[in-house]
Amino acid sequence: MTINMRRKKIRITPGKALMFLFFAWFILACLVLPNLNLLKTVFFADGNFSTEPIRKLLKSKRAMKALRNSFILAPTLSITVGFVGITLVLLTEYFDIKGANILRLGYMTTLIYGGITLVSGYKFIYGSSGFLTKLLVQVFPNMNASWFQGYGAVLFVMTFSCTSNHMIFLRNAMRSVDFQTVEAARNMGAGQFYILRRVVLPVLLPSLFAVTILTFITGLSAMSAPMLVGGTEFQTINPMIKTFADTVSSKDLAALLSLVLGFATMLLLFIMTQIEKRGHYMSVSKVKTKIVKQKITNPVLNVLAHVYAYVLFVIYVLPVVLIVLFSFTDSKSIGTRTLTLSSFTLENYKYLLQSLSNYRPFVVSIVYSALAAVIVGVIVVVACRYIQKHKKARSASVLEYSLMIPWLLPTTMIALGLMMAFNVRRPYMFNQVLTGTMVILLIGYVIIKLPFTMRMTKAAFFSLDDALEDASKNLGAGEMYTFRRVIFPVILPTVMAIAALNFNALISDYDMSAFLYHPLNPTLGVQIKSLTNDMNNPNGMALTFVYAVLMMIISAVVLYLVYGRGGRDNMKE
Amino acid sequence: MINLTGIEVKFGDFTALKDINIHVQEGQFYTFLGPSGCGKTTTLRTITGFIKPTQGRVVVKGKDITDMPVEKRNIGMVFQNYALFPTMSVYENIAFGLRVNKVNKTDIDRRVREMGKKVELSDKQLIRKVAELSGGQQQRVAIARALVNNPAIICLDEPLSNLDAKLRVQLRGELKEMQKNFGITTVYVTHDQEEALTLSDCIAVFNNGVIEQIGAPNEIYNHSKTEFVCNFIGDINKVQPQLLSEIAAQTGAALDPKKASYVRLERVHVNMPAASGFASFKAKVVSREYYGLYIKYTLSLCGQTVKSIEKNDGTKYFETGEEVSVFIKPDDLMVY
Repeated sequence: MTINMRRKKIRITPGKALMFLFFAWFILACLVLPNLNLLKTVFFADGNFSTEPIRKLLKSKRAMKALRNSFILAPTLSITVGFVGITLVLLTEYFDIKGANILRLGYMTTLIYGGITLVSGYKFIYGSSGFLTKLLVQVFPNMNASWFQGYGAVLFVMTFSCTSNHMIFLRNAMRSVDFQTVEAARNMGAGQFYILRRVVLPVLLPSLFAVTILTFITGLSAMSAPMLVGGTEFQTINPMIKTFADTVSSKDLAALLSLVLGFATMLLLFIMTQIEKRGHYMSVSKVKTKIVKQKITNPVLNVLAHVYAYVLFVIYVLPVVLIVLFSFTDSKSIGTRTLTLSSFTLENYKYLLQSLSNYRPFVVSIVYSALAAVIVGVIVVVACRYIQKHKKARSASVLEYSLMIPWLLPTTMIALGLMMAFNVRRPYMFNQVLTGTMVILLIGYVIIKLPFTMRMTKAAFFSLDDALEDASKNLGAGEMYTFRRVIFPVILPTVMAIAALNFNALISDYDMSAFLYHPLNPTLGVQIKSLTNDMNNPNGMALTFVYAVLMMIISAVVLYLVYGRGGRDNMKE
Repeated sequence: MINLTGIEVKFGDFTALKDINIHVQEGQFYTFLGPSGCGKTTTLRTITGFIKPTQGRVVVKGKDITDMPVEKRNIGMVFQNYALFPTMSVYENIAFGLRVNKVNKTDIDRRVREMGKKVELSDKQLIRKVAELSGGQQQRVAIARALVNNPAIICLDEPLSNLDAKLRVQLRGELKEMQKNFGITTVYVTHDQEEALTLSDCIAVFNNGVIEQIGAPNEIYNHSKTEFVCNFIGDINKVQPQLLSEIAAQTGAALDPKKASYVRLERVHVNMPAASGFASFKAKVVSREYYGLYIKYTLSLCGQTVKSIEKNDGTKYFETGEEVSVFIKPDDLMVY
């Protein structure tokens, strides 16, 4: 109906001209040129094309081992996470397991506690002087205290920290299964596990493919887990990039490794979009009925399922509980990993507030994350409004695809690109050197949050009823007034929710911060990493725990506001 | 009041409207009727200004508004799904247009409350969120919002299509009542012929981007100008050449068996007392459908089946297989 309007030439107002100018600069200066510069650093170091870095890489035993390790970790992780993830969803949403609500809460702890904090928590429990290791050594004095190190440890930690996607996306898919199809199958005589295999799981398959590929990419770009528990024998690509990037002579190797990682990521995402294109199964049912939890009829299997569910629960919850408990104990208890009633104290929280250097990383991360969340929100809302208004225009597609560029690139590659592009004066960055300033990390944060923000915000804009805008115009309102009073208020809850999720993800960021942080203002992730390196410093550990607890509280509050209270309100409307 | 002359609308290569000419009189309830994709909504959106015609003029009260932007036209509109602003209360929704036009606060309050009363929304309902209202109440808010700016015209785009059958009939009545009370010129879009027939002063029947017929409901129904109109409105029997020749032979009417001829179901009479001017036939009841208010019979006569309806008043009731007499008057035939 508005096709002829869409084909109309876009009128350029001064505001629009300014917007075009900003996006053209932003896309070129922040998204395109730094990455091209990275390519140049690798292949055109002295102005001429050279494959020398490739030879150098092939010769570097450490680098090749890291590459091999990553390509071992990614597929095995996909399998272990896939298995655990599917069973989590089945146990909480499909089978009738006693205490499923509590179990679900436990399995969802990874949503409020992930990345470097989670790994440090696991290290505190399973590490050489860890809580559980100490208990085990008392029982088996001959066991190796450093048992929790290397490939197995990395795989273990990551298996239980990477199920968040399953608990969100796969669970949603499970909840959208039309129960009448299950009843129909049963009516035709199908058994419980036959129904699961032939009726329920096929519906989940597209979502499962997508989350598996995301897991694969997570495995390839693993950073904190191999760094903290990989030991010398199991380092992967990303920690290696970090190591190489820290010395001038091997910066080209770091860049090349990040290109390899980038290429692998792009390939995988290409596969994923192809799978996504095949589409999700749409339920054809007009009157969907909610799933009724299935009681496992075989008593032996039922007991086994319960045991399995509660073992997983303990694995998920133990680090969280211990971190919270130990954050309230004195340094002696933390040092010896013992809990006694008399050792409980609020000293650690006081210690945090006592010195600027202690609470500074917390403030730094909060400020960075909040600023980045707001900036990326504003950029994307403006872009999406333009795309929505000019659906057919080429400028709209260019804008959309450009802002999605960071989706294709691993965080380390983006970080390295920024670092290497802006360590000299560039005309397109107004001749400012950014490396070593506070700004560069902010730019990095904004960039990595663009694709997610873009996808979600665009969806919000496109699910808007066009009639709302028509109605507003019909009542005499102009374009800006319509946007301000009608469109924006409708999408505001979504925009806020996305900003909150971005804030959540950034506050515990380590991967980007590790490359771009300002030496005087380390972020929380960087601080926790340096404190965790020294597990024998009880004060440092105490501080890590306090940071972790505060982060969990912030994340939980944000999630509650987004999905709990806010979510229900949105549903009503 | 509203004059559309020579309106043509093209979407790329596709011509959505061809040479549309409509004249709506002041105070009229004017309906655009037709199947989906026929151009009725496009015509409505041309009046409100959401679509700019590639040719032709839109004139309201003698003023050419073809190039006037939507927001300057002051033509009220009620959308198919009402398009109520979900973030605002009922009150704020109704006040929206007044605020845009910078009416002062006290006037806004007075006018919103007056309008609320007119459409039977209580003060309590005014402060509620629009999502908390029922379908019928939401429709009243949409109408109030469209009328509060005192537009000269109100356009309604299938406002009843989202409601269940019973509510639809009830709101149809309310809508007509409101239009009468406000006396406002109304342009109404629907694909429901019953709605069009019961509500309208005048109907324009659309098909494939052109107008097939314009007329009062009884003209459209009883004297359908084209084959499309007579088929689209109401149930109808196609009269085959054999039956047509028989009617002509019995009554002496000049009927051309080569032409497509139709007769409405209620104009096929079963076992009626003898009357002059009717052709009569022996027929057999093939089947019957029971509707409560009436019964629809399928009859076999002259080598074809003909449908007929009889009021369910207890005087006539035919069994399947029963032999009956059927009467048809040549004047009741629509010939094309």
